[in-house]
Order: sequence, then structure tokens, then C-alpha cells
Amino acid sequence: MNLRIISANLVVKLTSFYREKTTMFFTFAFPIILILVFGTIFMSQDNVEYHLCVQDLDQTNSSAQAVKALELNGKFKITRVDPAINAAQYVRDNKVNLVLVIPKGYERSLVQRMALQDFNASVTITYIYDPSSSSVDTKKDILNAVLAGINQKMSGKPPFIRSAEKSILARKYRFIEFFVPGIIAMSVMTLSLFGTVDSDTELRQKGIIRKLSTTPITRTDWILSNILYQFILAVISTTAMLLVSYAVFDVSLHIDAWLLAFILLDVFAFVGIGMILTRFVKEAQSAASATNAISFPMMFLSGSFFPIELMPGFLQKFAKTLPLYYVNEGLRASMVFKDNMAALRSSAIIGVFAAVVFILGIVATKWEEGK
Amino acid sequence: MTKETEYAIEVEKLTKSYGDLLAVNDISFTVSKGEVFAFLGPNGAGKTTTVEIIETIRTPTSGKVTLLGMDVTKKKHDIVPRIGVLPQGFNSFDRITVRETIQYYSRLFCMDTDIDGLIELVNLKDKTKEQYKNLSGGLKQRLGIAIALVNDPEVVFLDEPTTGLDPHARHEVWEVLLGLKKKGKTVFLTTHYMEEAELLADTVAIISKGKVIAMGSPGELIESTANYLVLTLKPVDEKVLEIVRTIGFEAVFDSHKNIKVRVEHTYDVQKILNAIRDAGALYLSLDVRKPNLEEVFLKLTGEALREDSSEMVAK
Repeated sequence: MNLRIISANLVVKLTSFYREKTTMFFTFAFPIILILVFGTIFMSQDNVEYHLCVQDLDQTNSSAQAVKALELNGKFKITRVDPAINAAQYVRDNKVNLVLVIPKGYERSLVQRMALQDFNASVTITYIYDPSSSSVDTKKDILNAVLAGINQKMSGKPPFIRSAEKSILARKYRFIEFFVPGIIAMSVMTLSLFGTVDSDTELRQKGIIRKLSTTPITRTDWILSNILYQFILAVISTTAMLLVSYAVFDVSLHIDAWLLAFILLDVFAFVGIGMILTRFVKEAQSAASATNAISFPMMFLSGSFFPIELMPGFLQKFAKTLPLYYVNEGLRASMVFKDNMAALRSSAIIGVFAAVVFILGIVATKWEEGK
Repeated sequence: MTKETEYAIEVEKLTKSYGDLLAVNDISFTVSKGEVFAFLGPNGAGKTTTVEIIETIRTPTSGKVTLLGMDVTKKKHDIVPRIGVLPQGFNSFDRITVRETIQYYSRLFCMDTDIDGLIELVNLKDKTKEQYKNLSGGLKQRLGIAIALVNDPEVVFLDEPTTGLDPHARHEVWEVLLGLKKKGKTVFLTTHYMEEAELLADTVAIISKGKVIAMGSPGELIESTANYLVLTLKPVDEKVLEIVRTIGFEAVFDSHKNIKVRVEHTYDVQKILNAIRDAGALYLSLDVRKPNLEEVFLKLTGEALREDSSEMVAK
């Protein structure tokens, strides 16, 4: 190992990266854009207002009051649909996903129930909806809850089961705080994997590796300078992501040595995988496909974007075999829950994985040309 | 142990095979210190394989290769700092400037190279701040030569330094190589350009299909293998070819419609010219010269050096 050679290599890599303005922009901007987009979408989830179309076929004071009650509930912005038109057609024509229909005879049934105490009197509210809309189920759930509340109130008796919430965190845990560590893990993975495979394949194809093999630089110097280079980029990228997250979303994330440790393990693991891939992939184009084949499942199934609990059981089991899952878990344990034991467990698993693939990567890296 | 010898390179019964393909077939030669040695042969003859074995990039299947007295298969670590290499199809980092590239390679050798001196030697003074990707082919090769010299090597390997360059750029690279020759460096040059070997080399080894088929100075090779003259005539009418053939000489048209005739003595030329005059035929110009290495190569192998080789000579 020769520090002068490693630093010479590092300078060339960093200078090349700095002069590739487009690559530099996308490397740093892409994860920040993800954070901004998803952060904005999910930040307003708590006070989201749904658009609700209501068709009042009864056209009485009582039915009008019911519509008003839905409006006052705060969850909905109401659009009133003309009772004369076909609600199903309205859904299709206006690209809305649900029209709530208050039937004719609403007031009469209400009077029967409330004034005449006729408990057989009831009304059926119909949801005319488009099942292909992804948010319609949430809308129906909210409506059902609102209607259940009205029914419960009308019964005049206090509820038996009540619910209370107690968070394990000092302050409310928001989606963005779940999301940022995941994006850090993911972008460090992408940087290391693509960085290693792209640059090594390109240098091999151009014959630069062949030229280097006639100089005193060794395979170890080469690999160490690559690790160092990827680590520097990862730290810069992570710092940028955290700064944006603090400035825009006022996240509450705990930053300590674990963050650096997980970035380093992430770099080692995926530079290792990258080196193994480079051994088997000869062309730059197939290199891109191979890296995508590895990084995509990792990105979507290891819990970077959403908790793996949302996935079916077998996929959850699969997720737990992915190295990125442990980086995600470890980063969240340290940054969100401040749980050192959990972070230690994750770091042990990813650490062993990183050591194995890194050693395999070193063995796989071919320095001399064909023997 | 490094032993001092008069030879910079000694190759003994070197063979290299890839599966069934025999790329280098039992070749032996020596390169003296301070000489420019050219390995001349067409594509696929085994030039690069041989040179890469000597440079320690590839391992031989059998045979022994010694560089500066050291076995290339065992002493890579000691050999590398003492050689300079311009690989075939040299390439470098796109976004790094000429000066930075030379600096980078000099750091790899942990040398305090005279970077300005090198830049001057390869005549790149005006381009020091230019990024590699913006250089023309000839400039890239000259930078490659500068890089091959950063460690002030005892032996310089130049693997097809002018392939793919236009004639002007090729001459500029030759200027640089002549400068190198003047400095007394041992240079191992592979090429498929005859003019290059004739201009630069002290010794030429002709390699074909993995075997060295002739070796010597350019003059010796021409003298020993092609002891005849070539008469070239630019005829006015096609009758001239017939006339020359009638009096018993082998004659052919080359691709420029010139007639080429192989003659043994200068008085044969007079005989041919008289016959043409007597027959009342005309020619525009004539040229008599000794054959060059290209013709030597053709005679020895029966194959052209390059696909674009245009000359066809009567054998």
C-alpha cells in the first residue's frame, strides 16, 4: 500500500467527477429531489382534504344538513351534484372517483327514526365509485368512519370501547423521518455500485487498466482509492440530503458516529458487489443492466421507500435477505429511535456481509490482462 | 538477483497459446541496450502478445524472457519501475489535462519528473491545459509517449504508436521518436508501417503467424532477401506491358496502373527501354530503385502488411 499512489488516484477521480458537471448534478440532486417530492406528498398527509361529490336526491332541510355535517367534519371539500343527472355517468365524465348519493326519502326516514322512535327506519347512502382509483378505498374508509360516528351519536349512548394513543417517541414520528435514512442508504448504495461498475468497466474497455498494470500501482492501492473516493462522495451526498431535510422539513434525526459507520459499511458492501460484477461483465451496456438488476430489487424491497410490513409475508422474508435492509434498519435505529443495540445488531450483519463480498471482490478484480 | 548483460531483452523459445490458438510460436531474439528494435508484422501476427509478455502484463505458455537481466515472470515488481510502456490503442482519463495526466503517472512512479522537459520533448507545450478528450489522435499518442517516459525508463515499449493516425500526425510522432532515439534509449517498437521501421529501427524482426521469419538491420534484410531492382513505368498505352513480357521479364500493373518490373541488373533497364522505343510505344515517366521492406515482407510471407497496402510487386 502506497499513500502517495492512493492520493494521486483519488485526486484524478475527484477531479474527473468535479469536471463531469452533469454526472455531479444528478449524483447529488437525485436523492434530494426524492426527499423533496416524497417529503411534500407525505408531510401534508395528516391534514389532507379530500374532494367529495355529493348528490342529494332528497332535497330537504335534513338532507342539506347532513351534507353540511360532512363538510364541517373537515376531511372533505364538498361538490354538490345536480340530482337530475346520472351519478355513474358523472363519475365517468368528470374523472372523479366517488359520488356519495343521499336517497330520496331521507328526511322521512329520519323523522320516523328520531320522532316516532321507529328503529326499523333506516336509509342507505350509496357510494358510486371508480374502483380503479388508488385513493378511493381510503376515501370510503373515512366516510364509513364518519357515518359510524353519526350512527353512534344518534343512538344517544356513550361508546363502550374508546381508544387512546401513546407514541414510543418523545415527539411525533413523521413519515419523512422514516424516509430520509432510507434514501441515504439507497443513494450510498447506488453511488458505490454504479460508481465502481461504470468506472471500472469503462477504464478496462479503454485499456487504461492495462496501462496502469505497467506502473507500480497495485490492485490494493487501486481498490483502496476507489473505496475512499466512494466514501467521500457518499459523505458529501449525505450531508446535502440532511441539510435539505433539516431546512425544508425540520426533521428530527439523531446524528452520531453510527451514521458514518453505516455509510462506510454501505460503501464497502456495494463496492464489493460492484467489483464482483465488473469481473464478469465485459461491456459497459451489460454492466448497466447488471447493476440495475441488483439495485432495483434492493431499492424497492428492502424498505428504503416504505416499511416492509406493508408487503406480503414472503416478500418480507425476502427483504430480510437483502443487505440494504440492514443498512436501512441500522440507520433508522440510530437516527430515529436512538437504539444503539438495534444499530449494533444491524451493523454486525451488514459488516459480515460487507467483509465477505469485499474480499470476494478483491479476489475477483483482475489487474493483469488475460493470463 | 539482477545480472548485468549487454542485452536489454532476451527472448528464448517463447510460446504463447490461447486454447488451440498458437499466438506466438517458439520465437527467440535479443535486443541490445541502446538500440531501436522494431517488431514488424501484420495485424494478428503475435506482435502485441509478445510485447505484453515482455512488459509483464501477460504470462508466457513456455520459454524464457529476460528483461534487463530479470525474469519477467518473477520480477514484475523490479521490472516495472525500469520500463516505460505506450500500450496499443493508448487511452487516458477524459477530463484530466495534459499536464495533470503526466503529473498523475509521475506520482504513480513516485518520481519527481521534469514535467516541462517531457512536455517539450513531445511538443505539447501549447496543450498543457487541454483535457485529454479534446486532443486529436496524434496529440493523444504524443501524450502517451510522454507518459511512457515519466520514470526515465531504461527500456521503452511503443506498441503501434502511429496506427490510425493521418500521415501528418504520423510524421509528428516520428519526430518525437527520432528525438528519443538520439537520447540513446532502448526502444522496442511494434509496427505494421514499413516506413516507420525503416526510418527508426536499428534492427527489424519480421513476424508472421507467431514466428520470426527474418531479422537484421533494414539494409541487411533488403540486401539478403531482395537482391534485385524494381523498375516502375508510367505507360501511355497498355501495349508496354506486352512488350516487356515479350522480351522475358515479369511485369504487372499495380493499383495505380503503373507497370512494375523486377530486374536483376541495371543494364536490364536499358534493354527494356530500348525494346519499348523500338516498338514505338510511349511512357510518361520511369523510376528505378532498390526494393523496400514492404517488398521484403511480401517476398518472405506472400501477404500484405496492411489491408490498405496498395503496392503489388512482380515476384
